[in-house]
Amino acid sequence: MAAIIELRNATRIYHKGETVIHPLDNITLTIEAGDFVALMGPSGSGKTTLLNMLGGLDTPTSGEVRVCEQDLAQLSPRQLARWRADHVAYVFQAYNLLPVLTAYQNVELPLTLLRLTRAERRQHVETALKIVGLEDRMKHRPDELSGGEEQRVAIARALACDPQLLLADEPTGDLDAHSAQEVMDLLVSLNKEYGKTVIVVTHDPKVAKMARRQLHLEKGVLMKDFANGDHAPVDA
Amino acid sequence: MRLLMHNLLRRPLRTSLTVFGVGVALFLLCFLEAVVEAFNTGVNMSDASRLVIQHKESLSFNLPTSYKSLIEQTEGVKRVAGGVWFGGLSQEQLPGGDKREEFFANLAMDLENYFLMYPEIKVPEEQGRELMSDRNGCVLGAKLAARLKKKLGDRIVLRSTIWGQPSGPLWEFNVRAIYTSDSPTFDQTLMFFHLKRFDEGRMFAKGTVGIYIVSISDPARAQEIASAIDKRFQNSPFETRTMSEKAFNLKFVSMVGNFKLLFRSIGSAVVLTMLLVSANTMMMSARERTREMGILKALGFTDGHIFRLLIGEALVICGLGALLGAGGAFLAANVLHLNPKPDFFPIFYLPTRSLLLALGIAALTGFLSGLVPALAGMRLKATEALRSV
Repeated sequence: MAAIIELRNATRIYHKGETVIHPLDNITLTIEAGDFVALMGPSGSGKTTLLNMLGGLDTPTSGEVRVCEQDLAQLSPRQLARWRADHVAYVFQAYNLLPVLTAYQNVELPLTLLRLTRAERRQHVETALKIVGLEDRMKHRPDELSGGEEQRVAIARALACDPQLLLADEPTGDLDAHSAQEVMDLLVSLNKEYGKTVIVVTHDPKVAKMARRQLHLEKGVLMKDFANGDHAPVDA
Repeated sequence: MRLLMHNLLRRPLRTSLTVFGVGVALFLLCFLEAVVEAFNTGVNMSDASRLVIQHKESLSFNLPTSYKSLIEQTEGVKRVAGGVWFGGLSQEQLPGGDKREEFFANLAMDLENYFLMYPEIKVPEEQGRELMSDRNGCVLGAKLAARLKKKLGDRIVLRSTIWGQPSGPLWEFNVRAIYTSDSPTFDQTLMFFHLKRFDEGRMFAKGTVGIYIVSISDPARAQEIASAIDKRFQNSPFETRTMSEKAFNLKFVSMVGNFKLLFRSIGSAVVLTMLLVSANTMMMSARERTREMGILKALGFTDGHIFRLLIGEALVICGLGALLGAGGAFLAANVLHLNPKPDFFPIFYLPTRSLLLALGIAALTGFLSGLVPALAGMRLKATEALRSV
């Protein structure tokens, strides 16, 4: 299976006054296409920083980050934005849907960046909403949906552009147990049935066990890296 | 575009109030521009082929009527018409016995020559003949006739604040002609009557005129001809000052004071206020959406998208304000022909250049008010924006 993510000695340093903070310290890592990875660790361990780096929202102070066969350091901010639209999708803890748009419009939003006709966009949106089981709620605004439904719309938005890589930052953090299970089942099925590479940041061991591989960070250092084997590997 | 419109409708009251604020400011700006234009009516009526001669010292002093033939002899002069400002108030008898007085510009003129010098003035041939054959005849502008509700054959009584007759201050005239003009800038609220009749009737300053209007054959020689006229009357008891019609009218306007500076200062303050109102709205609107900008960036929207989104919102707000304010002013002044003071502003309209100026200011205000939040949004780091509440 080909590597979709390759980090070599990736380090991120912040300066806060005279204090130097290392949210990520010399991370070397490979993730294969079609994998399902849980990223764990206490608060401040660098999970979100790593996730942002994989999505091109943050850049390493030193080291190399290659995602989808692209060295992200070689891209200008404009190219990086375009690359993100084509290859990566985010699912956030707080859903982050735009409150003024309907579910349909929220899912359609990233598609407006691609050269698609209105009919093609409609097809993509309807398919994505069908996958998450919300085809009958497409005209509802976020404030008319439950938390679980909002997160499923966010997942549909992530799916709409058919990205290779799905980055989820504590996607079940704000949900009740039932909704959290639904969302995780959805992510697992996206990985198994559609071959998406999924990386989930989580504090929840139950969620982490649903992944195929677990990475544990502490103070920016990769402490543990092991396979779960809870669900069958995906044929890439 | 859809997101832009949704964002504008996110706080409908705030957006509406901002649009209304911008609209009111632009309406006021356009109104002030129309007032400035109204003051310039005489200047706009000016023609380079006409000169005006007045007494060298002041308009308060008259010139002898004998100068007319001497001026006519000057090389390059085609025609000369003498005139006197009459300053009369029309008197209307009201049913209850009271009298209503109305002010408008009225002048005693050498009508025959005057009309030949002003092809802009259109008088039907028959009416022209009637006017010339009646020594008590007068001609009214069409707008003035409509305002005074006068028609051909009616009598009009003027009470002069300057000139009296042996019989008293009241002068009676017969409306023999009503003029129109094909020029939108020509004043159609004037009244003219025969200089000869006026000179015979008045009790003092007989044989003099206030000004001479001169038409010349070559506008390029205006300065040369003006100098030649003034030179002819140098060291005489009535020395002259000859100037272009435009310079004369500008001088006349300047007697009111530097109103242009005053009005433009008010206009500038209005525009500045409008900018602050719009900028305040945009800053608040952008600040509320910091997290959303982070989301857009995470989805793949570029900094340029964010910049255009915020600038676009500001431009739409100011554009709608322009539609409301400048469009409203255009509708009121140019379509419905509303005039706040018809006796003071004979011509009141919003010039196209002022309308374009207002639209330009609206566009610039939109751009400037959106610039700071747009630049901030553009520079915003997605990771920081996503952390904001």
